[in-house]
Amino acid sequence: MSKIEIKKDLKALNNEIAAENRDVFKKNNIYTINIMGSPGAGKTTLLENILKPLADSFSIAVIEGDLATANDSERIKKLGVEALQINTDGGCHLDARMIQEELSKIDLNDINLLIIENVGNLVCPISYDLGEDLRLVVLSTPEGEDKPLKYPPAMLNTDAVVLTKIDLAQFVDVNMENMEKNIKDINPKADILKAGKRDGVYNADSVTEYIVKRVGSKKEQ
Amino acid sequence: MHETSLMENMLSIAEKAIEGKNVEVKRVTLSVGKLSNALPAALSFAFEAMTQTGPLSGAELVMEEIPVRVQCENCGCNYEPDEFPYICPGCGGIYYTVTQGEDIYIQSLDCLEK
Repeated sequence: MSKIEIKKDLKALNNEIAAENRDVFKKNNIYTINIMGSPGAGKTTLLENILKPLADSFSIAVIEGDLATANDSERIKKLGVEALQINTDGGCHLDARMIQEELSKIDLNDINLLIIENVGNLVCPISYDLGEDLRLVVLSTPEGEDKPLKYPPAMLNTDAVVLTKIDLAQFVDVNMENMEKNIKDINPKADILKAGKRDGVYNADSVTEYIVKRVGSKKEQ
Repeated sequence: MHETSLMENMLSIAEKAIEGKNVEVKRVTLSVGKLSNALPAALSFAFEAMTQTGPLSGAELVMEEIPVRVQCENCGCNYEPDEFPYICPGCGGIYYTVTQGEDIYIQSLDCLEK
């Protein structure tokens, strides 16, 4: 029996394309955000609420990833923001090649902020680099305070965790302090942001401010 | 189930490695990081389903788990952490960089000359 040594990363091809995407973003001065989280965590609602204030400072395009339907891109278009829809037909995540294909449909000179909303899933999307600058994991409080401990790679491979539906925590017996501690126990470097309704009005100001700050600090580099 | 797409990549890497060689692949060895986000049972299932036919049909899949190793960002020491939270055994520091255990590699193919 003979042995053929290979030692190759199974994600090597995706990582190569992600690096190409990163070059394209850099050349065109586009800051890119990858938003991930479970189905129903509130990713699109968060997006709807941060797009309006972000549009004051940036020219934005959004790529929506879902197994099926164009519901999410339609929701974004209603806000007057350019939105493209990827349907993965059962695929559980977006990969770098899918993003590369979509980039050919956008006038890259026209935008300086690209926001990608990944397929709803707290496992698979985490493993796929798309070439983004910033990763946000959206976790809604009704999912339970132990979820960070159950999904360590999602907590580890993100810049920030956005806790959504914070107004619902009290109704589902979720202790926010424990939830935050569980995030920090996995990834002490993760920033924790909060969004939800206060007095009936959705507030995601901390997320908008965070993004503006992160884009600013990248420009200074 | 991104294990299926990982397995597709594995198959295309393996098929490239034996291209032009007159061999029969008997064993495929994968190294799976403990934090790789890939489930060994799902990898096995995908492997079995996707090698019913083709150049790897009949091959066996062997998986080795790669433990997690991290470097403490405070004192620089390298250690193999146990459960979360990871705490440096040297200085008690809580900030760390993962140096091993996030990747999934195809290590080697064991082949018989035809």
